[in-house]
Amino acid sequence: MNCAECKEILVAYLEELLAESEKQAVSDHLKDCHSCQAELKQLTNLQERLVSNGRVVAQSDLENDVMNQIVREQNVRLKVAQKATAGLKLRRIIMKSSITRVAAAAVVLIVAALGVNYIMTPSVTFADVIEPIINAKTVILDMLVGDEETSPLMHEIVVGSRIRRTLSNMEHVTQIIDLESEKMLALDNRDKKAVLVDITGPVGEGSRIYVEFLQRELVKLKDNYTELGEQEIDGQKAIGFAATGQNNEEVKVWANPKTALPIRVELRVGQFFAIMKNFQFDVPIEDSLVSMEVPPGYALHQTTFDLTKATEQDFIEGLRIWTRVHDGLFPEAIGTEVTMKKAPMLSEKLDQLNLPEEEIGRMMMTYVRGALFLQMLERQSPFQYAGNGVKLGEADTAIFWYQPKGSKTWRVVNGDLSVRDVAPEDLPK
Amino acid sequence: MSETDTYYIERCLDGHPDDFRYIVRRYQAVLLAHLAGKLGSKDKAEEAAQESLVRAYFNMNKLKRPGSFFSWLLGIADRVAKEHRRKEQLHRQREVIRSFSDEAASPELSQDYGLEAAIAELPESYRRVVLLRYYGGRSCSQVAEQLDMPLGTVTKTLSRAYAMLRKSLQQPKETEIYEVQK
Repeated sequence: MNCAECKEILVAYLEELLAESEKQAVSDHLKDCHSCQAELKQLTNLQERLVSNGRVVAQSDLENDVMNQIVREQNVRLKVAQKATAGLKLRRIIMKSSITRVAAAAVVLIVAALGVNYIMTPSVTFADVIEPIINAKTVILDMLVGDEETSPLMHEIVVGSRIRRTLSNMEHVTQIIDLESEKMLALDNRDKKAVLVDITGPVGEGSRIYVEFLQRELVKLKDNYTELGEQEIDGQKAIGFAATGQNNEEVKVWANPKTALPIRVELRVGQFFAIMKNFQFDVPIEDSLVSMEVPPGYALHQTTFDLTKATEQDFIEGLRIWTRVHDGLFPEAIGTEVTMKKAPMLSEKLDQLNLPEEEIGRMMMTYVRGALFLQMLERQSPFQYAGNGVKLGEADTAIFWYQPKGSKTWRVVNGDLSVRDVAPEDLPK
Repeated sequence: MSETDTYYIERCLDGHPDDFRYIVRRYQAVLLAHLAGKLGSKDKAEEAAQESLVRAYFNMNKLKRPGSFFSWLLGIADRVAKEHRRKEQLHRQREVIRSFSDEAASPELSQDYGLEAAIAELPESYRRVVLLRYYGGRSCSQVAEQLDMPLGTVTKTLSRAYAMLRKSLQQPKETEIYEVQK
């Protein structure tokens, strides 16, 4: 190979586009030829300059600016078009309380996740051993609370501090949670409504712990477990481990015997039971899936929910709201599982009451706070529900009783929603 | 991200305007590099790139061959850059008339203005290859596929482009873009 031939293909050499034999020929020639070495040096410098400038330029991100400008311009164009046809077009009737629905649905999704969080206490100390899982940058999983056959499935995509969450019985609502800013963006893709919810406080805290919980629960098995042997789980061979935690939570993990990656995690704490499955770790995930930006075409409504306090009063009011759209009857059963299943239906029934939107929103929030109150009971206090078949107003029938933490007496709620303190020996049978 | 331009354009035209963001992601760096060379500052390049993309979005239905979206987009960017420069010149002329004693403040240049300017001066066919390869994050074979040319042609084009860039970079640049046009 002579210099002219070599120089001819040096760029291709640099770009690694040459066949092995050609590459070798260039390498051989370069060994003895200073002129071509110098030429290669110059080309390499230029290539480095191009690559590094390419990197610098790639840091600018126009995406959101461009998309926002498109939406703005689109709106201007729409307005102009609407003006032109004013009077001819009927105004689109917007469903009255879609915002309420989005918000309520979104909050219900939070409630679902909180059930798991409460199990997790900061006192848990476990060796940080299962590195690949703990350090997974992204986790995709399905979670369900309660019975596997009938419970709605919660699909979660976790990317760092962002979570994208959807629920199978509320398919039109997507929730994106940013744990860092403690904000949640709920999107209703049916009405193109977006609600930004401030989740500062226990709800945000709960969701934060939930992500860690996922990872730590697996570590937990490391120190203190019993083997369950091999079994077919969700259609694949799995090896099982079981552990009981400090708060009597029972955890079962089924993992792939070869890769040790979890296939299924089951949790039981008192009356709360959850299954996590269909795990995927470190799958590349589009940033847009967990973006807190309101997508173009969605109308944003700013809403703040106060979920910092959930009281007995909320729980009782929640029951009253329930009876209002169920012919005066109390629910057949209560609990997180029931809340998840029934909340979408409840919000639709409330919609049909033809009340002002704020009123429905307030009712839904009360109901959700009531569910939160119950959820706290589920983890720390004994309680009993006996409201199935009871109608609002039956003052002589006790429908619910619980023992507040640290209290000697019980609180008993009657069918007329009055409450009294009762000694343990006088409890309803 | 791996879909073709044609796919995203058709999605946009089919009522999924949000898919335009994939186009933005794909070409923003390419556009910025191209425009920085023409306009001389990062901020101006960003402004013009944004305008070019928005303009492309609203004119998408006029694009006859979606496969040649990239060249079409560069064309739009060239027009936007020209308009911006014209506006700038008018603006500067007024400034000069206002105070011809004051030296106009030097605009903030982008990272490697010399290189970007040299790229901007390349003939169209060479410029496309360089932009896609180094600013669009494509491999040579992907460039070949997108521009519908044999890999050998891409290699040759790139070789020639390197030679032109080197030549252009060796000549010290005049500060021509700051001159007020008569």
